[in-house]
Amino acid sequence: MHRTLARLLGPATLALLALTVWLGLVVTPPDRVQGNLARLVYVHPAVAWVALYLSFGTATIASALYLWRRTRSVTLDRVAVSAMEVSLVFIVLTLVTGSIWGRPTWGVWWAWDARLTSTAILGVLAAGYLALRRANDDPQRRATRSAVFALVAAINVPIIHFSVLWWKTLHQGATVFTANHTLKIHGLMAWTLLLSFVAFSLAYLWLLRARYRLEVARARRESDDLTAALAARVLEGRP
Amino acid sequence: MSVADPLAPVAPPPAPDRSRRRTLVVLVVLAGLIVLLLSQGLLSNLNYFETVDQVLASRASLGSHEVRLEGLVAPHSIERTALGANFVVTGSRGSIPVHESGAPPELFGPNIPVVVVGHFASATARVFTGTQILVKHTAQYIAAHPSRVRAPNGSVR
Repeated sequence: MHRTLARLLGPATLALLALTVWLGLVVTPPDRVQGNLARLVYVHPAVAWVALYLSFGTATIASALYLWRRTRSVTLDRVAVSAMEVSLVFIVLTLVTGSIWGRPTWGVWWAWDARLTSTAILGVLAAGYLALRRANDDPQRRATRSAVFALVAAINVPIIHFSVLWWKTLHQGATVFTANHTLKIHGLMAWTLLLSFVAFSLAYLWLLRARYRLEVARARRESDDLTAALAARVLEGRP
Repeated sequence: MSVADPLAPVAPPPAPDRSRRRTLVVLVVLAGLIVLLLSQGLLSNLNYFETVDQVLASRASLGSHEVRLEGLVAPHSIERTALGANFVVTGSRGSIPVHESGAPPELFGPNIPVVVVGHFASATARVFTGTQILVKHTAQYIAAHPSRVRAPNGSVR
């Protein structure tokens, strides 16, 4: 059952992404102000959702569970590093798609407003996390230190989320999660936006699973290598 | 007295309480600092722009310093020039005429919120001299073809 679901993850992701592309590019109408540029709303918010909340959130929760009550679970550490790596990819995608959207609408590729700057900082923090992991050879120390680092970095996530409320930003405010719960996007556009969130969330799960399996395979190879090296050393010592 | 089995598992050393406490202290200090910064409004200069109302209120102290001015482009006020555009940006309590030199973005037009980068020519000048227009688009998405989107109450949006 679990195997079948996991095997369906890839095809389901591709099917939903294809459906999003079709609805987003062909079926939905252009926006009154932005025209066809508004179609980026089916990519950029969903990518940012995965980057900030799903993947960075997973990495944070896995790190917290690793530290809390000293579980020191290897699985949680692997989930954390896998999620953080996926997060970095999606943060970069968020910045790139946002930049592509910003040039024709705002008139600039980049603006140092609170939302954009705090998101860029999160990207640097995610890269820092991955660098920190390379700076430690001892698996347990590496896991502990990177978990603490992830928790500190996670403070930035609510700052990014509320940046458009706390400060005046060039970036627009919320479309879906508005303060007074009024959806500022209409009809089919809203449904396509929702679909894009589901599609990119599935893509995230797919990538996370692949990355986790890679981490497991890597660890197994390392331990196999060690066993082989030990066996070789034992043979050397025999007369 | 028996000799201890050399292969018997040994108890792990006691958990380093000191380093754990230190980690906790670092976390608390970091969180406290951020809360302090936020609550004291020390991060208020992270605002990307000043609204028309704010600029009018602080007109005297502003002088001819550079500022990013935000407001709604008044309808019928746009006058395209060779380099850019002359127009009026309005806030809720007043408006400021702008002379801007620099190609306006594609979405620039009447009733569009914009951020104009520039400064007043002098401490007493009335006209704001802009060098760049940024369009601050809203978070609303409404279909361009009205017949294609119908509100729940039946009205066509």
